[in-house]
Amino acid sequence: MNTLSLLVFGPALLGLLLLFLPEKFGKAGKSIAFLGAVAFFVIGLQKLWGLRADPSVLAPERFTWFAVAGLPVEYHLALDGLNYWLVLLTLFLVPLTMAATWNSLKQGEGRFNGLFLILSTGMLGALLAQDLLFFYLFWEAMLIPMYFMIGVWGGDDRRYAANKFFLFTLSGSLLWLVALLMVAGKAGSFNPTLMATAAAAMPFGTQCWLFLAFAVAFAIKVPLFPLHTWLPDAHTQAPTAGSAILAGVLLKLGGYGLLKFAIPIFPAAAQHYAKPMALLAVIAIIYGALVAMVQRDIKKLVAYSSVSHMGFVVLGIASFTVVGTQGAMLQMLNHGISTGALFLLVGMIYDRAHTRMIADFGGVAVKMPVFTAFFFIVTLSSIGLPLTNGFVGEFWILNGAFTSGFQWGRLYACLATFGVVLGAAYMLWMFKRVFWGAENPDPESGTHHLHDDLNLREIAVMLPLIGLIFWMGLRPGTFVAASEASVTALLKEVQAPAPNMITLAPAAAAPAHGTEAPTPEAGHVEEHR
Amino acid sequence: MNSALPTSAQWAALMPILFPALAAAVIPLALLDRDAGVQKWIRAGVYAVALFALGASFMFLAELGKQSSQPSYQQLRLDYLAQFTGIFIVVAAALAVLQSWDHFHQEGWVKGETISLLLFSVSGMMVFASTTNLLVLFLGLELFSIPLYALTATLRSRSSSSEGGLKYFITGAVAAACFLMGIVILYGLTGTLDISVMRLQAGTPLADPLFIVGIGLLLVGFLFKVSAVPFHQWTPDVYVASPHPIAGFMSVATKGVAIVALIRAFPGLTAWGPVLGPKVQGVFMLVAVLTLVVANLTALVQTSAKRMLAYSSISHAGYLVLGLVAGTPGALTGMLFYLAIYLAMNMGAFGLFTAFGLVGEKDTYEDLRGLGWKHPLMGLCAALILFSLAGVPPLGGFYGKYMIFKELVATGHVNLAILGVLASLVSMGYYLRFIVALFLQAPTQAQEREATEAPVIQASLARGTVLVGAILVVAGGFMQTVLVDGFAHRAIQGLLGLR
Repeated sequence: MNTLSLLVFGPALLGLLLLFLPEKFGKAGKSIAFLGAVAFFVIGLQKLWGLRADPSVLAPERFTWFAVAGLPVEYHLALDGLNYWLVLLTLFLVPLTMAATWNSLKQGEGRFNGLFLILSTGMLGALLAQDLLFFYLFWEAMLIPMYFMIGVWGGDDRRYAANKFFLFTLSGSLLWLVALLMVAGKAGSFNPTLMATAAAAMPFGTQCWLFLAFAVAFAIKVPLFPLHTWLPDAHTQAPTAGSAILAGVLLKLGGYGLLKFAIPIFPAAAQHYAKPMALLAVIAIIYGALVAMVQRDIKKLVAYSSVSHMGFVVLGIASFTVVGTQGAMLQMLNHGISTGALFLLVGMIYDRAHTRMIADFGGVAVKMPVFTAFFFIVTLSSIGLPLTNGFVGEFWILNGAFTSGFQWGRLYACLATFGVVLGAAYMLWMFKRVFWGAENPDPESGTHHLHDDLNLREIAVMLPLIGLIFWMGLRPGTFVAASEASVTALLKEVQAPAPNMITLAPAAAAPAHGTEAPTPEAGHVEEHR
Repeated sequence: MNSALPTSAQWAALMPILFPALAAAVIPLALLDRDAGVQKWIRAGVYAVALFALGASFMFLAELGKQSSQPSYQQLRLDYLAQFTGIFIVVAAALAVLQSWDHFHQEGWVKGETISLLLFSVSGMMVFASTTNLLVLFLGLELFSIPLYALTATLRSRSSSSEGGLKYFITGAVAAACFLMGIVILYGLTGTLDISVMRLQAGTPLADPLFIVGIGLLLVGFLFKVSAVPFHQWTPDVYVASPHPIAGFMSVATKGVAIVALIRAFPGLTAWGPVLGPKVQGVFMLVAVLTLVVANLTALVQTSAKRMLAYSSISHAGYLVLGLVAGTPGALTGMLFYLAIYLAMNMGAFGLFTAFGLVGEKDTYEDLRGLGWKHPLMGLCAALILFSLAGVPPLGGFYGKYMIFKELVATGHVNLAILGVLASLVSMGYYLRFIVALFLQAPTQAQEREATEAPVIQASLARGTVLVGAILVVAGGFMQTVLVDGFAHRAIQGLLGLR
């Protein structure tokens, strides 16, 4: 069987088997699911790692699947620069999340992990699919396992959160389907290249409407302000594994979809709407941070920090510069690692204390030093401290927005910078209240219930994440090398405005420096490698 | 009109219609014996005869499908479209028969005449779907409707059952009267009873206001059977009053044959000329919009899951009529595909009640609590069927909508397509309520107690049919080409070729 097909459909087949496993074999089912996920990760790593310089050399798997109603739909899976690292991230996070939440569930463990595997099929399929209807199938199918993961194993308000999640996401994608059919009907295919040609022939007004339909579907998933309201509910109510994978991978698909489909198919309309997109992104950054600051529930705080961080991704994409877009690519990976890790850590403390309220804690550092150390590193990464991954992504995005060819670039970059400061404020304030200080005197408090520090399993889960945080902070080039060519080609294709660089007038006194004045674009990106 | 006996090829073509009718006539004879000891065997025999008749009908239809010629006998046309519909009806009836064995045993009310009536109805539907002659069409309509009126009131020990039957009968009689009046007017104006000949007489009569009245009355009859708004009020009451398998059968087969008859009478927009064509299309548009809006919003507030399914079946009529609005061969093919998947979904959905052993008035969401976990296989099937009803890919229900919406967009009805997707968003809301009840809510203590005291539910046949439905729904999502190219496309090609 071909590698990509195996990676995409293998998990679902295994997952379906696990759904039928009787309840009493739940433990065994959990182990099988975990071993399966590890196996898929190992296979993926072994087959794909060598391709990191140029993922597109892997032969795509492509044939016509069916052609009902006169429109051929292709079974087309391929790696490219944009999806390469997201695929690896997905393969990596699934087994890791399973291990991290090994003892979190009280019942139905086998089935939960079966659904988890089916979900990973949806995510990988959506990332790898190159045909738009094929992509759409995975995009929608992903909702079903996630719905049950939230609805069955979630918190007290799980039914509301699950329904909201499902209907919100579905509303965007249904309207998107109509737009998809319109363009595909003209193009006679769901191939993005042909669709772009067909879209270019349409009147500009129509293009704008169609782009909006595409963008709204993706923006709901990102989620972009003001379409984000499902996210805090879903994140808070979902079980730890669900939150971690939701933050880790599902949200990325929104940004990925914008970059992969919406912008190449409607380049003119996308640039027309770059300003509103960037404005909403800036609002999301600031608003998400402000709302996160006043949260009492740690998990909800992390959920709103997601809104803020994903705002950076959209800002980077809307900047239409190579450095900004590359920053967005890296920020998606960063957010997957850091926020995923935060959710896992919150889950670990919740399993012990059965509360997530900030006020219930205090002085946790004394009781759980190892946990505190891990939490601190991840917090710093989330804030974007230099040397951690968060810094590089945010810096590139702000850099991209600042140098973007659009008028608004500098103002918005400056505004977004406040988001970084606010990010530090809410994270550190939360950290102070939960971990530092004297132990919470209340005998009913969460701190009182913390008896043991992280065990070996939990440490083993956190170590690779911490390793990645520093690796990505110190050598970010490894993680964006694959997408460099794709992003450059994409921006050239859409005729993005040239970056608006600040070129200092060469000082007469120092002619030697004048020769080193950076040439726009390419040279600029190299600077950060 | 010659009265020559059918040739052997024609006999073979008539067999699918004759077999169910013969079996229906034979079954009541078997029930004369009232001895309790042999009663059990007689019941089994009745069901075996019914299944045999349906099986034989299916075999003959399958045999017909292999031939290149499309036989006809007098006013009956056993063309590809009729064969497609015949198989559709026979499969729905067979599933209903299997489910009814379990359901009537659960209700403690097993009577052979039910099966007999069902088979008469099957024959009537086949006649209805195989002709363009209005009088024969009317004959078929009555032959399948009257048994259904009686079937609705099968469980006569329950007062709601008789009420539903009476309601169905009265409204149905009004619709049939309209239909007949329409025939009379059209015949008086054109001098022919054949609707396919009628529309070829282009010119004066087609623009005549009286002619439009005739067509309108005809449409009332059809749309009543399709249960499109505003001719839908009977549907929820009748479905709730009927035994579960019969409700499933009515929701699938009645709607299906009425849609096929509509396709036969109005194949595409050009068929009725430049004057009448747009008018008919306007009617379809109005009906589709009303149906989608009213049915989906009403379904949202139901507390009975069965009533919700009744409104959901009305809303599916809306999507099907949208296909008629587009009117392209692609859209008509999409409608047939939609019908085939709809058969699997609705027979499965109504079969769930029997599979879970819910009898009497126990058809609310409350009664479904936690059942998905109690019967994991049925739970999975239910989830697949419900997500497919809502049109979530990659299940079959999605492709039915996909094909219809695609043609709508291609013919420039983008706003109707948007309305359609918004309607399916709303529909997701009520299908999720079903799923919430099955999986996300634990049973109440009273229900737990009742479940431990109640005898084990015998519903293996019904569960089998639900499983078949779920498998078809999944197959429709992954092997749609077989169904579309193999059957639906050919049926529409044959029909449009005939024109």
